[in-house]
Amino acid sequence: MIPAQFEYLAPTSVEEALAALAEHGDEAKVLAGGQSLLPVLRMRLNAPELIVDIGGIDSLRNMVDEGDSVLIGAMVPYYQILADPSVQTGLGLLHKAITAVADPQIRHRGTLGGALVHADPAGDCGAAILALDAELVISGQGGERTVAAADFFEDLFATAVGEDELLTHIRVPKLDGWGSHYEKFVRLAQQWPIVAVAAAVKTDGGTISEARIGLVNMGSTALRATATEQALVGQEATEAGVREACDLAAEGTSPPADLNGDADYRKHLATVLTRRAVLAAAGN
Amino acid sequence: MDELAAEVGVDPLEIREKNWIKHEEFPFTTVAGLEYDSGNYEVATEMAKANFGYDELRAEQKRRQESGDPVQLGIGVSTFTEMCGWAPSKLIGSLSYGAGGWEHATIRMTGTGKVEVITGASAHGQGQETAFSQIVADRLGVPFEDVEVLHGDTQVAAKGFDTYGSRSLVVGGEAVVRAVDKVIEKAKPIAAHLLEANIDDLEYSSGRFKVRGTDQGIGIGELAGAVFAAHDLPDGVEATLDSDATFDPDSLSYPHGRHLCAVEVDTETGRVKMRKYTCVDDIGNVINPMIVAGQVHGGLVQGIAQALWEEAVYDEAGTLVSASFVDYLVPTAADTISFDVDHNTTPSTTNTLGTKGVGEAGTIASTPAVVNAVVDAVRQFGVSDIMMPCTPERVWKAIHAGDAGGTDRTEGADQ
Repeated sequence: MIPAQFEYLAPTSVEEALAALAEHGDEAKVLAGGQSLLPVLRMRLNAPELIVDIGGIDSLRNMVDEGDSVLIGAMVPYYQILADPSVQTGLGLLHKAITAVADPQIRHRGTLGGALVHADPAGDCGAAILALDAELVISGQGGERTVAAADFFEDLFATAVGEDELLTHIRVPKLDGWGSHYEKFVRLAQQWPIVAVAAAVKTDGGTISEARIGLVNMGSTALRATATEQALVGQEATEAGVREACDLAAEGTSPPADLNGDADYRKHLATVLTRRAVLAAAGN
Repeated sequence: MDELAAEVGVDPLEIREKNWIKHEEFPFTTVAGLEYDSGNYEVATEMAKANFGYDELRAEQKRRQESGDPVQLGIGVSTFTEMCGWAPSKLIGSLSYGAGGWEHATIRMTGTGKVEVITGASAHGQGQETAFSQIVADRLGVPFEDVEVLHGDTQVAAKGFDTYGSRSLVVGGEAVVRAVDKVIEKAKPIAAHLLEANIDDLEYSSGRFKVRGTDQGIGIGELAGAVFAAHDLPDGVEATLDSDATFDPDSLSYPHGRHLCAVEVDTETGRVKMRKYTCVDDIGNVINPMIVAGQVHGGLVQGIAQALWEEAVYDEAGTLVSASFVDYLVPTAADTISFDVDHNTTPSTTNTLGTKGVGEAGTIASTPAVVNAVVDAVRQFGVSDIMMPCTPERVWKAIHAGDAGGTDRTEGADQ
């Protein structure tokens, strides 16, 4: 199918984009890499009056190593993030999650910023962003504000970015000395995760001192497995040591049911995948 | 068969073996009156077992069971005999079909020596154009490139019964053979005339009529040109070499195969991972090994997909739920493994090519081979069947359906 008719605007500055969004409100949609929006348009799941293509805004394409964190422009495509040395050395978990996104063609066009604002709970990167306590920099007519990842994802396809706002940058703290792993469960190589777990673990002499765990597709948004994170502290990084804590991974979640599995099966998967992700992150 | 094997404690291959026709019993007429042309189930089975590493994998399976490995190994056996080469028209008639089962071929010899082959066994990607060209090139002794196969449009190919039931090569290919032989027979008196030789002194090989014991001869292409010009033909001989043939087999061909599949089942998630797939198919003589490999590989993936992924799901209102490729899972090369494909050949006696048919072999055997392997891996947990496709959820629920204590693992189990 071809999309319904729409007006097209290609601003060259954030201000210009914001002005257009302020004028058109929820009748406008922002086009980043287009890997989610274009299928939505083509299947006519949405028919916005205006497409604001932010691909021409150079200030959204920068990546800055800030020392303790890496600042990623909202229009930086996945492949460029993967190739960045500061991401490779400092943001292991994000690197692993992005590596699991779709295929090379999509990673070439798709952007982290676009995926986060699209906020599909089955997306690969939301859980990693959440687990890494990233900050999301949002611009609006009133200026710039920073939102913690924990406050960013509000609901299915809904984030803290307002209709008249634009996500401009993602600031991801580096976790030096941590291990990480992204465990994705799919039936086919090319498939949205049925459940996935993004885990970062800090160990001290074989004992877990801190753990961050993000869950993919276990509810209407990406989630943190806080009960497991807390229960892991002080545990030995072994199969027996982490099992009980990881069995709590699905606590408080309301996963969806579809042809790949019902909610109970997903809850069970979350516990197994969390255990595997934690052990792999801890190097065991 | 696997149920019975498990019940009486016999290896699933061994229990199948008990029912097989022995090699020396071929041709074998069943009580129903059908004659099985040829086969060697014993050798094919031994080859498959050796290629697969059957005994080693069984030993590994036992080790994993004994150690309680979360990843269990399963071995699936699928042995089949198929009826191909549809069909003897008498047989089809006895089954109350309206049409016959013969196939038709025409060979047109053009004035430039090029050869046009018209077949009613119309291909849609199976490679008949290539295989039939090979048959003509080989039998008529002309370059492969000089043969063109025409089919599909009934203005060109008016007669025939199409491609289905692994019949195209067995029936349609044999019709081509017979049409080629008629071309050579037609050409022979003309060659004798042009070479001023006695027809009985002529022999035909490598595309040439030769006068025995001399270096005299004429190529079929040159002869086709002379026929087209018709300047100097024997009296009463038509100016054409074009020939038709219709082949109606006396009986069906019976290809058979031994397929062995090993899967690893992650008992914690129910996920099935292909470990090894070995098949030994006896499809009679092979005309084109690459096309045969392609047909087998494609068939295997289609059958494996049915066992593990593809499913048309309808809701209670009759709406197709798996209506897009997001929900209807079709595997790609990334989801399968490298197949170990081999053949043991006992030529068919139903046609001069000795072929039996291969189009369906992969799909027939692979679905049960995979499902049997999955069930074999989890039979130790009291599972005797899993509904296709064997999704991780279904496999996991089957494994845990018998768990004691009513934990949340058993809720919603469909087994």
